Amino acid sequence: MTTVDTRGAEPATGAPTTKKRGGADRSEARIAWLFLAPAGILLLLFIVAPFVLAIIFSFTNQRLISPLPTKFIGLDNYVGQLTDGLFWKSLWNNARFSIFVVPFQTAFALFLAVLVNQKIRGKTAFRTIFFTPVTVVMAAAATIWVLLFNANGLVNAALELITFGNFSPDWLNSTTWAMPAIIIVSVWQGVGFQMIILLAALQDVPSELYEAASIDGATTWEQFMNVTLPGIRNPLIFVVTVTTILAMRLFDQPMLMPNAAGGPLDSTRTAMVHMVDIGFSRQNIGRGSAIAVIFFVIVLGLTLLQRRFLKEEGEV
Amino acid sequence: MKRRIKWLIPVVGLLMVAAACSSGGGGAKASCDGTIDDDTLTVWVHEGSEATAYVELIDDFNASGAGVTIELTQVPEAGYTDAVNAAAAAGDLPDVIDFDGPTLANFAWAGSIVSIDECITDEVKDNLLPSIIQAGTYNDSLYSVGTFDSGLGLWAWKSALEEVGARIPANAGDAWSAEEFEKIMKDLQAAGYEHPLDIKIFYGTQGEWMTYGFAPIVWSAGADLVDRDSLKAEGVLNTDEAVAALTTFQNWASDGLIATQATDDSVFTNKESPISWVGHWMFNPYKEAVGDDLVLLPLPDFGKGTRTGMGSWAWAVTSASTDGDAAWKFLEFAVSDSTILKITEANGAVPATESALAKDPNYAEGGALVLFKEQLAGAPDIAVPRPVTPGYPTVTAEFFGAMDDILIGMADVKATLDDAAAAIDADVDDNDGYPAP
Repeated sequence: MTTVDTRGAEPATGAPTTKKRGGADRSEARIAWLFLAPAGILLLLFIVAPFVLAIIFSFTNQRLISPLPTKFIGLDNYVGQLTDGLFWKSLWNNARFSIFVVPFQTAFALFLAVLVNQKIRGKTAFRTIFFTPVTVVMAAAATIWVLLFNANGLVNAALELITFGNFSPDWLNSTTWAMPAIIIVSVWQGVGFQMIILLAALQDVPSELYEAASIDGATTWEQFMNVTLPGIRNPLIFVVTVTTILAMRLFDQPMLMPNAAGGPLDSTRTAMVHMVDIGFSRQNIGRGSAIAVIFFVIVLGLTLLQRRFLKEEGEV
Repeated sequence: MKRRIKWLIPVVGLLMVAAACSSGGGGAKASCDGTIDDDTLTVWVHEGSEATAYVELIDDFNASGAGVTIELTQVPEAGYTDAVNAAAAAGDLPDVIDFDGPTLANFAWAGSIVSIDECITDEVKDNLLPSIIQAGTYNDSLYSVGTFDSGLGLWAWKSALEEVGARIPANAGDAWSAEEFEKIMKDLQAAGYEHPLDIKIFYGTQGEWMTYGFAPIVWSAGADLVDRDSLKAEGVLNTDEAVAALTTFQNWASDGLIATQATDDSVFTNKESPISWVGHWMFNPYKEAVGDDLVLLPLPDFGKGTRTGMGSWAWAVTSASTDGDAAWKFLEFAVSDSTILKITEANGAVPATESALAKDPNYAEGGALVLFKEQLAGAPDIAVPRPVTPGYPTVTAEFFGAMDDILIGMADVKATLDDAAAAIDADVDDNDGYPAP
């Protein structure tokens, strides 16, 4: 917890320092709370309260609209979900997506960032081109990509040309290829943003380090491994963490791209799609809330694990 | 820490009170005392093929000097029912909504819409088609009136059928059997039409199409989506007959007879797929593209005679309405002959009143859409209403999910229908059997 304390100096040992503080500090604290209030109230109303409600609802049979009274049903929703094959399939689809997207998209973003960080003519144009998909609304992009991924669409026309007609899957209607199609669209749409973050990080690496390295006779690859990568460690970790969280809440693409949301045969049904289907389409808010709570715990756990294993160095 | 949690209690409490307030009971009535107390009316409509006609309808009403002014909100069709449900849960409904027919029981049961028994006059009621009254009734009360009813069939290029020497059915009793239809499609395929049947696969499952369009296959096989009394599906939806009929349909898809790659209406209008399985709303666009070569035929017979869909978007007064008279004033206008004919001219639907039907040349002897009239007159034996159940949201989600698994995922039909039936029944149990309010 960061406190607004201009005296600084004191190490955050958790010792009760309040008693030593004078009136000036108390008024400063009051002002700090005042400044925090607008954001704090909004967070409370729109993030904390709904989440607390979701936890409460998850122990009831709350319906979206129903004349029946809401009943407390204990852990039924949790037991129901944890024993439902479809729920696990949804989680597995999230995992499948993340396992591909997180490393691939991060590596690709880094590759693009290094590419457009070169001193070449027209690099601004390249940066703009790579960044453009980010500015497109995902729902609109997904709708266009549905046409491109049609069995007789542009993607397959190109693939047939390259593979002499040997490879042209029916992307979105195939349980095997629907998820890869979604992965391709997601990377296409998301990579530009990560590229910009990494590009900024690359430009922060002091050029003296490269000069020193080249004097020492390091090759370009050695410079990349020993100067560039350590130099952008923290932003890189940030990108991995954010990409993971974004990947876990995959929703727009599986909702809009296959013929049926999450289809075919639930091969692209993600936890989010499952939650909206149960909670909204089938009006079972109680069970939907249970999914939300379970999913929250999973994402929180994953993020904590990442924080533990990928420690950021120094101050961010 | 403790202090912060204390804050939460009143906030959470307030939210729960708000949530509790919004869930009223079903069975309420709009009160009509004959005087209009509220001169503005908020109305929500879906943005479908009737969108422009609806806007004109509202403009006409506002200009008609009825003493009531309407504020119109248009909501995209794909998420329309969800939007209404969200508004109901938030206590934020408009006065009047239009809604897709089969959702009626769910809305009425939940108390989102109120009965209009007190408002409707006998004169108006007697003039409405029986199918409109039937579709608007839940638990013996009338909740809605429609401006039009729907029609579903096979549209075809007559010249293509003649090319392969196909018999052209004259009326609903004369429908092709599934085997005969399959042979015609195979002949068409041999004649160069690679995928002869367009089933509007690109409508996807965001709306009601896959249930409206393909439930007739199940009915024609002698099965049903759910038992109309117990509201359960086990042993009703997953019968051997239903499995056989949907397996036939699946085979048409796997044999390439169905245009599963279609992305828009051009497969039919360009005559690549010369038969199109779709409803009345394509009449005008098809007529324009095909001209006099366009014929309308009944859906194929999967065993017990042809079956087709009925019911369409209709108007209802919500529980948020403060003045039943103002709302009824608009509903009455929406089912007047001049309004009906204007809208049905735009969307090709079946006019909702006897008097308007008599004025529409498309339904006169030899008219292009006579089949729709015949099918509706044969209800519930030819045109079949979708089940009247408050559990309909789950029924339709399960059925179109099953259709997608069968058509796109090529899943085992029996297992798919078993799963769907089990899920529908679980939902009924979760809701204590949906007791009538």
